[in-house]
Amino acid sequence: MRLSLFLAAVLLVIALLMAAWVENRRPQALAVTPSLTGETEFCITCHADLNEISPSHPVETFGCVICHGGERLALDADLAHSSMRGGANPSDLSVVSESCGGEQCHSGSPAEARDHIQRVQTSIQATYAGAIANMRYTYGAQPDLNAIFGIQAVQDSETATGIPALAAFDPTQENNPSLQTFAENCLYCHLYVEPLDRQEYTRFTGCAACHTPLTDHAKQDGIPDDVHTLTTAIPYTQCNTCHNRGNYDLRSMTFTERADHPTSRLEDYYQPIAQFTQCEYTLDCVDCHTRQEAMGDGDIHANQKDIEYVQCQTCHGTLEALPAMQTLTDPNDLAFRLAFLNPVINLALGDTIIVTPKGEPLWNIRLLPDGSYEQFGKATGHRFTFRSVMGSNCQQNVDEQESHYCHECHAVER
Amino acid sequence: MRPNFFHHLHPPSIPAEQSRWRYTLGAGGLAVFLALVLGFTGILEMFFYSPNPADAAQSIQIISYHVPFGGLIRNLHYWSAQLLILVSGVHLLRVIFTGAYAPPRRFNYLLGLGLFVTLILDDFTGYILRWDQDICWALVTGTNLLKTIPGIGTFLFRITVGGQYACESALLRFYTWHIFGLIFLAAVLMVWHLFRVRRDGGIAVPPPEARPDRERITRFALVRREVLAMLIAGAALILLSIFFPAPTGVPITDPAVVTEEARAPWFFLWVQQMLKWGDPFFWGVLVPSVFLLLLALIPFTFAQPEPAELGQWFPASARSAQIAAGILLLVVLLLSLKGLTS
Repeated sequence: MRLSLFLAAVLLVIALLMAAWVENRRPQALAVTPSLTGETEFCITCHADLNEISPSHPVETFGCVICHGGERLALDADLAHSSMRGGANPSDLSVVSESCGGEQCHSGSPAEARDHIQRVQTSIQATYAGAIANMRYTYGAQPDLNAIFGIQAVQDSETATGIPALAAFDPTQENNPSLQTFAENCLYCHLYVEPLDRQEYTRFTGCAACHTPLTDHAKQDGIPDDVHTLTTAIPYTQCNTCHNRGNYDLRSMTFTERADHPTSRLEDYYQPIAQFTQCEYTLDCVDCHTRQEAMGDGDIHANQKDIEYVQCQTCHGTLEALPAMQTLTDPNDLAFRLAFLNPVINLALGDTIIVTPKGEPLWNIRLLPDGSYEQFGKATGHRFTFRSVMGSNCQQNVDEQESHYCHECHAVER
Repeated sequence: MRPNFFHHLHPPSIPAEQSRWRYTLGAGGLAVFLALVLGFTGILEMFFYSPNPADAAQSIQIISYHVPFGGLIRNLHYWSAQLLILVSGVHLLRVIFTGAYAPPRRFNYLLGLGLFVTLILDDFTGYILRWDQDICWALVTGTNLLKTIPGIGTFLFRITVGGQYACESALLRFYTWHIFGLIFLAAVLMVWHLFRVRRDGGIAVPPPEARPDRERITRFALVRREVLAMLIAGAALILLSIFFPAPTGVPITDPAVVTEEARAPWFFLWVQQMLKWGDPFFWGVLVPSVFLLLLALIPFTFAQPEPAELGQWFPASARSAQIAAGILLLVVLLLSLKGLTS
């Protein structure tokens, strides 16, 4: 009996020592108490190596949980991750309002240009309304090209385009099998959906589709740390994940994926009939195309061309008029905020920048004392200079100023 | 050797038969040990647990991950609670299958049965205190079952959950029931039950003249056996706690949302399975009550064992009680198994 008692006591001591050893082996918990929430979180216990997502989202202010959700106190990976919003991508449009929204964040007032979420959800990149309307019209499901359906139902109570709402497109309600085929094969490049499985198409959904540009390296290695990035310096390669995927064959009504890995921007751009001037294949898309064009202006639009409005003349003016410009006098001007987010240009009060006809600042283009302009590539930081049309030898009719007229002389042979 | 305090809790000597593992399985004694562990670890948890819907699940995460040895303490509490239900059930079955419920132990049998029910309820309330999404089924369905009782259902529901809905105030109610109301009842029943064991002549064995083995053991030997059992059980508990941590989940945001996959705590799986068959009052309240009533009637309406047959398993003279309890056990086990695999 005494031996049994001794052995049992030894067993208990071993169990206690094991418990102490396990306790001792636990990693030292690392805490952050972000100033925005004031609630301590322990995510960096495991994620200390992760780079800060952007200079405008410093970790000591935001922490992790305010965007990602998750269990801030848990040190067990499964539990900690179990309540995360949108998996690894809190900007997925299904959860974006909770993750990125907020009056001082990205669902604030249009006047302060903080209404990104509202705008994106009604934007053509999210609704895909133009493609859906075109296909339904082509196959006789609707009598005109009016936008009726979007990927998700959206509403616009103060419509300026005359489209107050879109219903959710439901391919199962369509009688024409071609429309069902379209839904199955073609609806892979709106912001709600994961792209097709090919490296050229790889991107996230939601905001991160554009604002988290993926390098080839990042795409190959899955989701390494450099994916944890949000930026407004979006290279054209990111736009190409949707806008250079291949072509639709009108005879077979099928989509043909690109088989190659595009290298030359001029030669490999997908539309054989498209024409490009030098700036169109040298600059990045975001160097000219604006926030409203890409992310919507808060109204529901029927198709892409209704929201695209930047033309050659936006920067170059016409023979009779210089481009619209604005001299920065207000330190709170949106241009300064945008230049702060992507400091490729050292904007100062008193600088004159170009603005679009809708008043959007082209904050990366500044007037120089000699009357020419300097432009800084948002993704490259490269400096370019250009002149206005006024005072040049251009002989274009003043009433024919759309870009396609400029292409007739200035497009490069392909 | 002079007997110390712990020796004095025991009779000076008892028949050796009363303390044979293969007869008693040590289940009653283990239950006392587990109850003591529960009390000790529970008090430690109270230093950190917050019975507030906004913080409850997070305070459990703090205990589990950030309090030094908090995880171990919580796991010990969890495993002691699960094992207490198991061990108490085994103890009950041992008493039935050895005929130990026969007079003069009828009253103590009922005390024990009451204690068993109290412990299940205490386990249930403790389970609710997690206040994470995995307990929603039990919280919503369990409390709604009360409402189905004709006449007093709504009243019972309201005093249990403290309002019209099983939400905010329910947590405080369950907390108070868990650490005070039910524990108080369980403590009284347990002490009474132990007292009655001695008052009724110790563990059931045949009268002295019918005993084949007249050997007795001293309180010193008895305490040594108990200590041995406690040491082994303690080591087993610690090892269980190290390798199988207690479940921790995401805090409840809306208790009304019950997911399809939600599973009842393991000791109520059999009830959950029956609830799928229809009327919640019939399957969820009436049938379990009839089961309990059948168990309570065993010392009164079923065949009683011959005194000479006490102290052994499955005495032939009490066959009908064994068959009745065996059927109940089989039904509960099969239903639980179905609930576990479905």
